[in-house]
Amino acid sequence: MDQMYLLDVGKLPGQQSMLIFHALARMGVEALVIVSPENPLVSIGYFQDAAKEINLPFCRENGIPFMRREVGGGATYLDENQIFYQIIWKRSNPRFPVQMKRIFEEFSIPACETYRKFGIEASFRQENDIVTQGGKKIAGEGGGDIGDCMVFVGGILLDFDYETMSKILRVPDEKLRDKVYKSMKENLTTMKKELGDIPPREEVVQTLIREYEKVLGRLEPLALHNRFVERMKTLEKWFTSDRFLVKKTRKIPKGIKIKGGVEIRYGIHKAKGGLIRTVEELEDEKISEIGISGDFQFYPKSDLATMEVELRKTEFEQGKVRNKIQQFYDVHHIQAPGVLPEDFTTAIIRSQSEGPE
Amino acid sequence: MEIEGYTFPDDLYYDREHYWCRVEGNVVVTGTTDFAQKMAGEIVYVQLPLIGKSVTQGKPCAALESGKWVGRIYAVVSGKVVEVNEELEDNPKLINQGPYDQGWIFKIEPSDLDVELKNLMQGDDLAQFIKSEIIRVAAER
Repeated sequence: MDQMYLLDVGKLPGQQSMLIFHALARMGVEALVIVSPENPLVSIGYFQDAAKEINLPFCRENGIPFMRREVGGGATYLDENQIFYQIIWKRSNPRFPVQMKRIFEEFSIPACETYRKFGIEASFRQENDIVTQGGKKIAGEGGGDIGDCMVFVGGILLDFDYETMSKILRVPDEKLRDKVYKSMKENLTTMKKELGDIPPREEVVQTLIREYEKVLGRLEPLALHNRFVERMKTLEKWFTSDRFLVKKTRKIPKGIKIKGGVEIRYGIHKAKGGLIRTVEELEDEKISEIGISGDFQFYPKSDLATMEVELRKTEFEQGKVRNKIQQFYDVHHIQAPGVLPEDFTTAIIRSQSEGPE
Repeated sequence: MEIEGYTFPDDLYYDREHYWCRVEGNVVVTGTTDFAQKMAGEIVYVQLPLIGKSVTQGKPCAALESGKWVGRIYAVVSGKVVEVNEELEDNPKLINQGPYDQGWIFKIEPSDLDVELKNLMQGDDLAQFIKSEIIRVAAER
């Protein structure tokens, strides 16, 4: 096959760690890039709108840059404790699969093997997660067509800043942010969590490169030439511009996908008695966790938290949710002026049609 | 016609990027094929081209996402985009459910239709191409 390059570039300033694969793809350079961001940044997926997905005031106040990328997936917080692997190849290269499913399966193997070499049993799970034996996600991956190339990207999680991740996301109600944080902590893991400590970065990098060479063949080391840097700088202006960051779409975010089968949905509904906001964690189409807030009245007040607990394990289906809430109202003699079980149900179930304002 | 379980209506024209077009008067309707939507899996987002945009045959002009992969939507013929299927913004799965009808993507006012239709496939040419693609995909398993 054609020679592929290896760019093991260490750490690059914020956006450059993401811009590098965009630049190489446009320049038709087939390569494996191993890189980490030198400073934290937020990246949103191609089909996301920064204003709807990210807590922009928090990012600006804390000097966290943000950009939209040309591959799929959701909003994510990136920092030096992640080692990105980015593979770029020409669409016309017959050496590479064309089916997305095969691309994800084949190019996830090196990351899984890297984790295994450090004692973490990791495996690829359809459609695009790497998970541990315990079912926790330990890498997120995505891909896309850029120019005449295809790119596949992912990241080894040495460690993860769950708190900042939950803060950079736009949520419908600040009171519900804690639910998002909790869900991430429970469902995402890292090398540090699994092993008790972070292994030396260079050892992880060299293992990752060796494993990728088993799949891609021997890679020719290539330095980060000035022409790549210049291209990245040109791209940076566009990728961080308002025109590119703010998509012209009426689609409102449903929530966040945490891993396969687990997602967080945001709900909102204006009942006669006030606005209801919900954040629910769904696991395999059942409510595993839910937070409800708003400016409605609900007596006894303490029973709202109890109702949240009661809703756990309820199937995410309109009839089942409504029956559970109706039953709760009856048993606990709930007084909620202008707020009926149907209203809570609408907020929860209709979470795909409305989102954060 | 049916090719190994994949449907390809005979009255359509097809390109090598797995997009189709149907001539309706002075407008061309386009979308992606049954083969492509099955390969992609569930489509979760569609970025439609802007109305008024000039498109070129064989060049990407929009995008869609399935399974965290962002793929390009290609223009089957050159011309100007005159209408888009806005239903796809809220329900991109229409492409999976009906790639040749409810899942149409956009319409073009063609600029050189007679010439460019000759670059597209139908009948035996199409069958040969699709069979080679099926073999290519099967070899990856």
